[in-house]
Amino acid sequence: MKQAASLQRREFLSKLAAAGTATLAMDAPRLLAADNPIEHPAATADSCILIWMGGGMAAPETFDPKQYTPFEVGLPVEKMVSTFPAIDTAVDQIKICEGLESIAGVMDRATLIRSAVQPDLGSILHSRHQYHWHTGYVPPQTVACPHIGSWMAKVLGPLNPVIPPFINIGQRLEGVGEKEELKAFTTAGFFGSEYGPMNLPFPNEAAKSVMPPDGMNGQRFANRDRLFRKLIDRSPQRDYQSDYHQQSMLRSLDNAYRLLSSPDRTAFDLTQEPKESFEKYDTGRFGQGCLLARRLVESGARFVEVTTEYVPFLHWDTHAEGHNTVARMHREMDRPIAQLIRDLEARGLLDRTLVIIASEFSRDAIIEGTPGSNANDQATHKVDKLGEMKHYGLHRHFTGGTSVVMFGGGVKQGFLYGKTADERPLVAIENPVTISDLHATIMTAMGISPKTGFEIEGRPFYVTQDAKGVAVRDIFA
Amino acid sequence: MLSEMTRYLDRLLDLLTGRLSGGIILAICLTISTTAQTVDFDHEVVPILRTHCVKCHGGIEAKGGFSLNSRKLFLEGEAADPGNPVDSHFLELIRSTDIDLQMPPKDLPRVSTEEQLILTRWVAEQMPWTNGFSFSQLRYQPPLLPRKVPLTGSPETHPIDQILDQYHNTNKLPPLESVDDATFLRRAYLDLVGLLPTPEQLQAFLANRSDQKRSQLIDELLARDLDYTEHWLTFWNDLLRNDYTGTGFITGGRQQISAWLYRALIENKPFDEFTRELIAPESGASRGFIDGIKWRGNVSAGQTNEIQFAQSVAQSFLGINLKCASCHDSFIDRWTLNDAYSLAAIYAQRPLEIHRCDKPINASAQPGWLFPELGNVDPKAPRNERLKQLAALVTHRDNGRYTRTIVNRLWGQLMGRGLVHPLDAMHTEPWNEDLLDFLAEYLVENQYDLKAVLRLIATSAAYGSRSEVLPQDPTNQTDYVFQGRRTKRLTAEQFMDAVWQLTGAAPTDFDAPVIRGQTDLGKDDQGTDENPATLRGEWIWGDSAADGKAPPAGEKLVFRKTVHLPSKVTTAVVTLTADNDFELYVGRRRLATGKDWTRPQTVVITKNLKPGDNDWIVVAGNGGASPNLAGLYLEARIVMEDETVIEVSSDASWQYSERLPTVKSPGRLGKPVGPWRPVVLLGRPGVYAQVNDPIRRGLTMAMSSNSTMVRASLVKSDFLMRSLGRPNRDQIVTSRPSELTTLEAIDLANGQTLAAALQRGANQWTDSEQSTASIVRELFQFALSRQPTAAELSVIQESLGHEMTAEACEDLLWSICMMPEFMMVR
Repeated sequence: MKQAASLQRREFLSKLAAAGTATLAMDAPRLLAADNPIEHPAATADSCILIWMGGGMAAPETFDPKQYTPFEVGLPVEKMVSTFPAIDTAVDQIKICEGLESIAGVMDRATLIRSAVQPDLGSILHSRHQYHWHTGYVPPQTVACPHIGSWMAKVLGPLNPVIPPFINIGQRLEGVGEKEELKAFTTAGFFGSEYGPMNLPFPNEAAKSVMPPDGMNGQRFANRDRLFRKLIDRSPQRDYQSDYHQQSMLRSLDNAYRLLSSPDRTAFDLTQEPKESFEKYDTGRFGQGCLLARRLVESGARFVEVTTEYVPFLHWDTHAEGHNTVARMHREMDRPIAQLIRDLEARGLLDRTLVIIASEFSRDAIIEGTPGSNANDQATHKVDKLGEMKHYGLHRHFTGGTSVVMFGGGVKQGFLYGKTADERPLVAIENPVTISDLHATIMTAMGISPKTGFEIEGRPFYVTQDAKGVAVRDIFA
Repeated sequence: MLSEMTRYLDRLLDLLTGRLSGGIILAICLTISTTAQTVDFDHEVVPILRTHCVKCHGGIEAKGGFSLNSRKLFLEGEAADPGNPVDSHFLELIRSTDIDLQMPPKDLPRVSTEEQLILTRWVAEQMPWTNGFSFSQLRYQPPLLPRKVPLTGSPETHPIDQILDQYHNTNKLPPLESVDDATFLRRAYLDLVGLLPTPEQLQAFLANRSDQKRSQLIDELLARDLDYTEHWLTFWNDLLRNDYTGTGFITGGRQQISAWLYRALIENKPFDEFTRELIAPESGASRGFIDGIKWRGNVSAGQTNEIQFAQSVAQSFLGINLKCASCHDSFIDRWTLNDAYSLAAIYAQRPLEIHRCDKPINASAQPGWLFPELGNVDPKAPRNERLKQLAALVTHRDNGRYTRTIVNRLWGQLMGRGLVHPLDAMHTEPWNEDLLDFLAEYLVENQYDLKAVLRLIATSAAYGSRSEVLPQDPTNQTDYVFQGRRTKRLTAEQFMDAVWQLTGAAPTDFDAPVIRGQTDLGKDDQGTDENPATLRGEWIWGDSAADGKAPPAGEKLVFRKTVHLPSKVTTAVVTLTADNDFELYVGRRRLATGKDWTRPQTVVITKNLKPGDNDWIVVAGNGGASPNLAGLYLEARIVMEDETVIEVSSDASWQYSERLPTVKSPGRLGKPVGPWRPVVLLGRPGVYAQVNDPIRRGLTMAMSSNSTMVRASLVKSDFLMRSLGRPNRDQIVTSRPSELTTLEAIDLANGQTLAAALQRGANQWTDSEQSTASIVRELFQFALSRQPTAAELSVIQESLGHEMTAEACEDLLWSICMMPEFMMVR
């Protein structure tokens, strides 16, 4: 077929006839997985820690400082951009916000992406954007989409067989607003719960999740297991001994017992951490979560998410009182994140651990969604001019330009990628990175092709939406 | 954008016709391969090939010997060279203006410039092809019309077994072996009412010598309306994606159909009527199904409420997956984008613009349904009329797809695997067409009575046979042969119910907004003195309600009555409610709670009563922010050994105190303290009249079923149930996970929910001060429907001793509940 236009149609067709008939007779198989097998990229990271700033972390208040506007009664709101001044970091051309001094000291280990963008979903609902960020798909979807941690669990499996591959730290799924919406993406979806998260909402109680139940000592726990095994061995239902489902059930129970009696489970126990080291992290639940993440990664966790916790109108979800709240968030995050990076580095783990700081979107003082969006204005104190401190801060949900920080795991060090405008609207003006592309980047680092797909209900379903995510190659070292 | 594309294509065409030099060719190829947007095979390429090429070169057609069914065939035809548009002959043919040479042939529409560009880029990008995708037609075409299956076997043989005997002969399979009575009993209980048979029920069944006892058992179980309803509620909630909490409720974007569904099940509403009320609801009670979930903000065109409607109706009732076709013509079955939108347009109240992969195609959908051969809806009719017409078409006598779909689901529930499998792939071939068609017609002949179909299946020898033992994972098995029923794992709800049966740890309140046991009492039942459901009591409260005064908000009172019983009790039930909330304690143990006065709670308290004096305490509270009406109402019926009935009602014999006793531990009350005063009688105020019937129904139902344990299907999903596979009901779910995962196993090994239930159970079992052996015997019978073997008993005695402590009993309970034998329905 190297011959071009001149071939006559009849000739062409007759030439095909011989080959084609033979092939058809063989009856084309319906599954053609061998046709173009997926080639996974070489992994640059074995573990991943996602530091999740649930609620909308304002980039201009954290990793993308703009014109600093101190509080001033009567200041028109549209003049207000960053409410924290910029500070130097360990990298010359990178400045971040005051309050993040410790993180500034490790920015030479980071790739800072300032141009992450999200679609405008109309009414800005945190949980929908969080669903999108965590699964790569905008809800609602016709199938239950797996969380990115579940993709890693499914495709890569656990790094250490006794540590569950997907661990979710710091987010309560009961007793908080939008809990049903949170549950909808905190799941393995159609992969089934084997690949779902182990949820540890309170880091200082994590040890309980891998200990025998309250009030049962190790001896009794072991005896109980022994009794159980003896009963299985002596079961009169002999013919089921070889039954697949029975075998599979017993295997899972066995795995559980192995974890609950393994020495590795001490990774879950923060009381095992030396006091001075514990204190370096201990800014509260989030800081303890970072410590727990480090301990788990040291023991061979595959994917760990640790969050400041999303609770409607709390933490990063600043609909009012933004400046003061963010100042508190800075205090909560700064030391533990920096310590996490330093500790991973000191243990030689940073090279193979991808740490990501991300949020579902950024914030702005006047724009909801993206410029021109008709999304509802959800700020709770709407003023044209600043009157009190509670007006001071970025109280609208902004999707046009968001910062993502990555450390270790094969990304460049001290590298800045993408840019947002210095004047409003603060949209990404260079190298915008969509969620699909961001996921493609993360998955590529983990050695998973962005085109990895599974068939569910006859539909091909991919790790990045419709297999379209393209990794941002520039950020890899 | 378009002009840019045309210019780009022009250059490509130059390239293809050799008008450019080699250097430029290289440059353009680079441009192609680095184009930001890569071509999307599924959504961009497939439609073009399907429109222009597949008719002659796809499926069973291979004109000129060329088929593009798969990438392999495409390349074997040498029609394309991946990465090399210049040498890809099919592109040349498509582009050609030579009427002898061009493709498609001259009398057919041309491939547009934009489409050519996409195909060219696709080739340049190495022709990516979705794994497994093929244009080949599905070989099996499911019939639509119902078919009457003549039975050829002996009339004494059960119809299902007649058909299966033939199947077994044809396939030269060994005959099925009947399962033992105890396994059968446990299986039938769990499958039909979702509960374990009690040791007494087991003994009675084993002792029964009748050769009809299995079919009698099936009849008895199906007649237990309350238990049947509260078991099958799980199946229907999954299938109709109904729940008590979940995504969408937060913004009022979703409505429950729980009350309607509960009632439909308890009344065993004929399935055609049931379907019509869901598709064309006459009241708000059942409209949550078609309205779906309204999300705040923008949703993709494939997930609007209209499209959700099309997807739900098609999947739930017809086993058709319209999810693919909601976005583009399906690659896996015959349904097209237009089919999905037409169905959606029946529901739509606005012109529905068709979107292909979220982009409008400048056409609006005309209301119409999937099988016009049965008739169609009138597109000009108003919406409610269109919905009625659709409901009539779905339930049309000649719509065999509808009846096959539901009987296949029921077969799957009882037999562990569908006749068509997966259950929603109704376009694929059943392993026994005669059986499927027979069951479908049986449903119709029995006036769409679902219980009749369940009865038919459950009374067959096939259902009563030993379950198949599977040496390997059956998930991807392609050549299924029926060799008996398949074992099923207990659902999350069945597991919890069974644990609660063994431990008495069921919750005292539930979340489903239903009145348990609700049925229509016949007119004859009302108000006659002989009827045990006749109301005797009055609403009562304290002095704050005297002379028509409104009691203060937040007032909490303790009500007390000592009930004297001359002998042992056979059955005792209490139904009560309070405005606004109550806790009922008998013998200081909490037995029921309620927070909604419109929903009276009913409990069976037989085991909590003893001969002599019994202390009944109700702690009731008023709500609100300012003084408002408050009251407590209670009715109890206690059947004594000699069949006399003692009636207890809220009346002048009750006393109250304002001083609250301490709560010693959760569920346990400290000593109540006086001073006690006589209650104030409020009569039966008209504002409370709506609960009269529910109270009577509760009493009637509880006295006949002898158990009102709150069932897991009635409570919100919790951490443990979610872990055990109870789904988020955002999507329709038609099967539950069959495997226990490691994370679930961890939750079972150390989760507090299960541990607390087992602890409570262990206390009760050891309270009775029986020997280890006798506890073990009773537990095994209850949990596993069999006696422990001598070997099992001695292992347990060695480990736990002959006198069991509560802790030891807890560990035993855990070990039993973890046995695959317990967790499976065999």
